[in-house]
Amino acid sequence: MKRILGVALGILTAIGGFLDIGDMVTNAVVGSRFGLSLAWVVVVGVIGICVFAQMSGRVAAVSGRATFELIRERLGPRAAVLNLGASFMINLMTLTAEIGGVALALQLVSSVSYLLWVPFAALAVWLVIWRVKFSVMENVAGLVGLCLIGFAVALFLLNPDWGELGRQALPGASTSTEKVSTYWFYAVALFGAAMTPYEVFFFSSGAVEEGWTTKDLTRSRANVLVGFPLGGLLSLAIAGCAAVVLLPQLISVTALSQVMLPVALAGGKMLIALIILGIVAATAGAALETTLSAGYTIAQFLGWPWGKFRPPAQAARFHLLMIICLIVGIGTLMTGVDPIQVTEISVVFSAVALPLTYLPILIVANDPEYLGEHVNGHALNGIALIYLVIILAAALAAIPLLIITGAGQ
Amino acid sequence: MTGGRDGQAARWLDAQLHLLDRQVLDVHGVPMAVVDDLELSDVPVGQRIPVDAPPPVITALLSGPVLATRIFGGRPPDSRMQRTPWTAVVEVGVVIKLAVDQDTRDVAWTERWVRDHIIGRIPGGRHIPEREPNDHPENDERGGS
Repeated sequence: MKRILGVALGILTAIGGFLDIGDMVTNAVVGSRFGLSLAWVVVVGVIGICVFAQMSGRVAAVSGRATFELIRERLGPRAAVLNLGASFMINLMTLTAEIGGVALALQLVSSVSYLLWVPFAALAVWLVIWRVKFSVMENVAGLVGLCLIGFAVALFLLNPDWGELGRQALPGASTSTEKVSTYWFYAVALFGAAMTPYEVFFFSSGAVEEGWTTKDLTRSRANVLVGFPLGGLLSLAIAGCAAVVLLPQLISVTALSQVMLPVALAGGKMLIALIILGIVAATAGAALETTLSAGYTIAQFLGWPWGKFRPPAQAARFHLLMIICLIVGIGTLMTGVDPIQVTEISVVFSAVALPLTYLPILIVANDPEYLGEHVNGHALNGIALIYLVIILAAALAAIPLLIITGAGQ
Repeated sequence: MTGGRDGQAARWLDAQLHLLDRQVLDVHGVPMAVVDDLELSDVPVGQRIPVDAPPPVITALLSGPVLATRIFGGRPPDSRMQRTPWTAVVEVGVVIKLAVDQDTRDVAWTERWVRDHIIGRIPGGRHIPEREPNDHPENDERGGS
């Protein structure tokens, strides 16, 4: 049990990145339209986030510096303020969507309109940030979020033709009817979701919150190597369920309830109950991750005291900022905007934030002043450089693809 | 410029790399600000500098509104410069450590204002997170207010 709790930070970080409300729906959309032909993107994304999250965790453990401090320090105020603006918008839009997601999941259970749940969901998120210890927060959200393993269970219960699924996942086996640009739009969206910048902001700041030192380097690696592959696997399971049930029926996914359809078919009420619990925990976890990330990034950029390990009064501006973000989120949702569409727009901001986040991490991970003997090896640097090229390509392609495809319509 | 105290071998400090945009911690190890800009001793602008004039030295770390003018250009009025005298600096490493308490410095006035007027007044705002044996190392140095 202690082993599992030791990697809770990695699991929560990955759930927030791979299985937030927008990604759950995107994965089901992809499965229902492309089968598993985009599975390779998830694999590429998982390896990429592992490489860079490991670096950010190592820098945080050895030097005590969280990622946004490095961004400002190495890129200077101009580039850092650009990244801050883009990252902050991603955080704000995702936290808005996640609060809506918690409310949507509660609507599935209660049949009470999600709009009525929104203020309560936001209040619950705030109370956790205000009062609950960081370790308790990550353990509860991470463990209960594991209920989403129900999607993998559902895939097995559906007893699909595994050979056929495997053929879909092979390169070149594309599903004819969709346009090439749409295929690549979803490829970039999945890659962007896997590598969302708030994952490294949250992971490195979480390492500082937990007071990691050089002794915790193994733990950092374990967090990364368990958390992110698990997140990737579950997002593939969601796509797989949709590919098996929805693709042959030509059912297009537009809402959370359709994501649940294959689960209901496979496992009935019990599995549905489990999955809904998992969705509430995962969306709430993602809401916590993005709200805290909003606070972490601005506090680290401006040098404010931050962190849940301090009494709120000793990190006053940090807490005030998060309260304002949550209020803005409630206000946005109350206009009746579709929470899931909010996350789709945030892809645009990833285009700016991705390269400007991962480049400084790589630079500092090679700086002996920070890491002493724990600097990157040649192999890791080689992989990281390849990934920087992929990230740049995805960043450049994101906005044109969004416009050409009308957000994948 | 060269740094190094106590007769240690002089170490090169790159102002851009080692000073600007570094996190500043106060005497308790609490983040206070970031070095938004540096103030140098008087350099006459537009005049011929005599050969034997002393080289300019860093007199203060600047924070606050000066960040905006560093990005967009210009200069904030003198009354809005939040200076931390260089004499308060005790260590330049991956962070810059000071020998002063931020509660005595102007640069942290917004933090104090928000603490005293908003966050400190919400129930639980001054609650110290529960400690565990291996709890956060920074909490040991400090304790609550």
